[in-house]
Amino acid sequence: MKFVDITKRAGRSLRESKARTILTSLAIGVGAFTITLSLAAGAGGRQYAADIVSANTNKQELQVSQKQESALSGPQEYSDSPSVTFGGRFSVKQLSSADIDKIAAVSGVKSVSPAYNLSVKYITRVGAKKYNASVSQYNNAMSYNFIAGNGKNLADDEIVLSKDYITALGFKSPQEAIGQTVDLVVARAADIVPPQDQKTFSYKIAGVIDQNELSFASNQTVILVTPAAAKTMYDYNQTGTTTYGNYLAAVVIAKDGVDVNTVKDQLNKLGYDAQTAQDLMSTIFQFINVLQGILIGFGALAVLTSVFGIINTQYISVLERTQQIGLMKALGMRRRDVGRLFKLEAAWIGFLGGAIGAGLAMVVGLAANPWISNVLSLPKGTDLLIFQPLSVTVVIVGLILVSVGAGILPARKAAKLDPIEALRTE
Amino acid sequence: MIEIKHISKTYGKKESAFEALKDVTFTIPDGASVAILGKSGSGKSTLMHAMSGLDRPQTGEVVIDGQNILTLKDKQVDRFRAEKIGFIFQSFFVQGNETVSDNVSLPLEIANVAFSSRRKRVEAALDSVDLLEKKNNRAKDLSGGQKQRLAIARAIVNNPSIIFADEPTGNLDSVTGAKVEDLLFSYNKNKGATLIIVTHDADLGAKCDIIIHIKDGKIESIDNKKTRDGAKR
Ligand SMILES: Nc1ncnc2c1ncn2[C@@H]1O[C@H](COP(=O)(O)OP(=O)(O)O)[C@@H](O)[C@H]1O
Ligand SMILES: [Mg+2]
Repeated sequence: MKFVDITKRAGRSLRESKARTILTSLAIGVGAFTITLSLAAGAGGRQYAADIVSANTNKQELQVSQKQESALSGPQEYSDSPSVTFGGRFSVKQLSSADIDKIAAVSGVKSVSPAYNLSVKYITRVGAKKYNASVSQYNNAMSYNFIAGNGKNLADDEIVLSKDYITALGFKSPQEAIGQTVDLVVARAADIVPPQDQKTFSYKIAGVIDQNELSFASNQTVILVTPAAAKTMYDYNQTGTTTYGNYLAAVVIAKDGVDVNTVKDQLNKLGYDAQTAQDLMSTIFQFINVLQGILIGFGALAVLTSVFGIINTQYISVLERTQQIGLMKALGMRRRDVGRLFKLEAAWIGFLGGAIGAGLAMVVGLAANPWISNVLSLPKGTDLLIFQPLSVTVVIVGLILVSVGAGILPARKAAKLDPIEALRTE
Repeated sequence: MIEIKHISKTYGKKESAFEALKDVTFTIPDGASVAILGKSGSGKSTLMHAMSGLDRPQTGEVVIDGQNILTLKDKQVDRFRAEKIGFIFQSFFVQGNETVSDNVSLPLEIANVAFSSRRKRVEAALDSVDLLEKKNNRAKDLSGGQKQRLAIARAIVNNPSIIFADEPTGNLDSVTGAKVEDLLFSYNKNKGATLIIVTHDADLGAKCDIIIHIKDGKIESIDNKKTRDGAKR
């Protein structure tokens, strides 16, 4: 018998018992609904996390540090490489200037900027109070939210400040601050006993940024200078200290068109510990995946319950249609085809349930997206539920397969039926 | 040609064993109309099931066109039934929820007949039993006689060379029964197909070329009008 003919007959007999078919499908639909929503939430969560990470990092960027000993119990072997030791046991190895040169020599590396661990005493300007300051390096690849000026071609004597500093330093508006001069005062750390030598570094304000909705450091007061400017201040600040020239970490930018992972492998081979933005993302993803897994578990439980519903429905159907099955077998329909007929009916039930559940999940999810974003105060345009055609298809196909599995026992019963017994009337 | 050689069929086991067919042997030439005549419980249906490959007697041979169907695998027997045999039952067994034409197309689907020729064949079969105008009706809305005519259309649609009819008029009044009989005999005459009617109705039996009398699972006698040998066994 042709597969099309069997499929049509399966569909027809389901239509004969509409109520039963739909009720059985609905049970599966609950599972499909839950699983589809879980997958959408997972996809949305991962997308959101990826947005956050890409707003805060550059995908060509790697965080590089020395490979650290993983076993921290017991006495640790002494190593000649620069390190900061905590209580004789926990020691963090640092990167030396030689390391930096070695990293810069790696073929895929465009630039290496050590994380200059410099401390600035304060920021101020003429006629303004002094404020605590923490200076970071401007990163071309990150998306800053400029409200005045910009960071394009930031010169070594220019600075980018967050909005809060502008107000604190007495500017009337961010626009007015552009091109004005601010002073960073740095002390020499090598002079342990005061009065320390100190020096004033002056910068022109090139841009003012507001907090980025996706930024981790949303409330921070940010001061950004070029890596070269940071180095100048670092040199003044740290020269003469024991840790001068050693860095906890460095930021490596891979050349455009070079896969960061290739660079990562190269650096790892040289004995460094390199982490890409993706690695950071995968930690967040892991967390989202666990949550998603729990939700899917609930859906799977619903599917499991509906499996018994399908088995039950199909057994009843076989009993009700004993005569029909007997006739088809008497007319020469093969056992395999009779079995297929019932498995296909189960498949239809699975398809219906999957389509109803997944369809409903999409309708509800798409309608709820704006509301969810509002309640969780997510940035505009961010959807927490993302329905991917592929995963919806996989859910439906998966449920069809599960249903066919549930239909196997009843189908076998139908296939085994003895036509003579089935057609006995007296 | 259908050759039945020494078939015996026993139902049940040990103490409850019951021998429904006892060493049955006879031959039916192609194109004959045959009545298997006997009282209720004499083993007529059991014999028919054995001859048509629906059942397997424990011993003996059922040789059809030179092939002993009892040695075939299930799959091959199914195919044999789908391609060569038409069945008509006392209780019609039409599928009430399906349309008249879907009922008739079932044997074509089972026999893997191409889509292109199906419609024509279904309509020809329905036309020959006078049900063409009912083709889109549901089978459950037909009367008893119409249902049996539908069953005949279903039995002949795939041009079988043998038709088995088990008490085809048993559930019908004499007028509708007569029409059903006419249809069966005319198919037998026009197409040269072998017609085997299982019945306890001697009048119906008398219309056949060959009458096989069966009693308690044994052949009592065979009347052959054409050779008029009337051999007693
Ligand atoms: N499956 C079965 N199990 C036991 N006995 C059976 C079975 N089928 C038929 N019989 C017995 O075999 C005998 C012949 O039955 P059957 O061929 O149906 O008779 P008929 O069709 O002539 O009325 C009857 O006595 C019946 O009770
Ligand atoms: Mg009978």
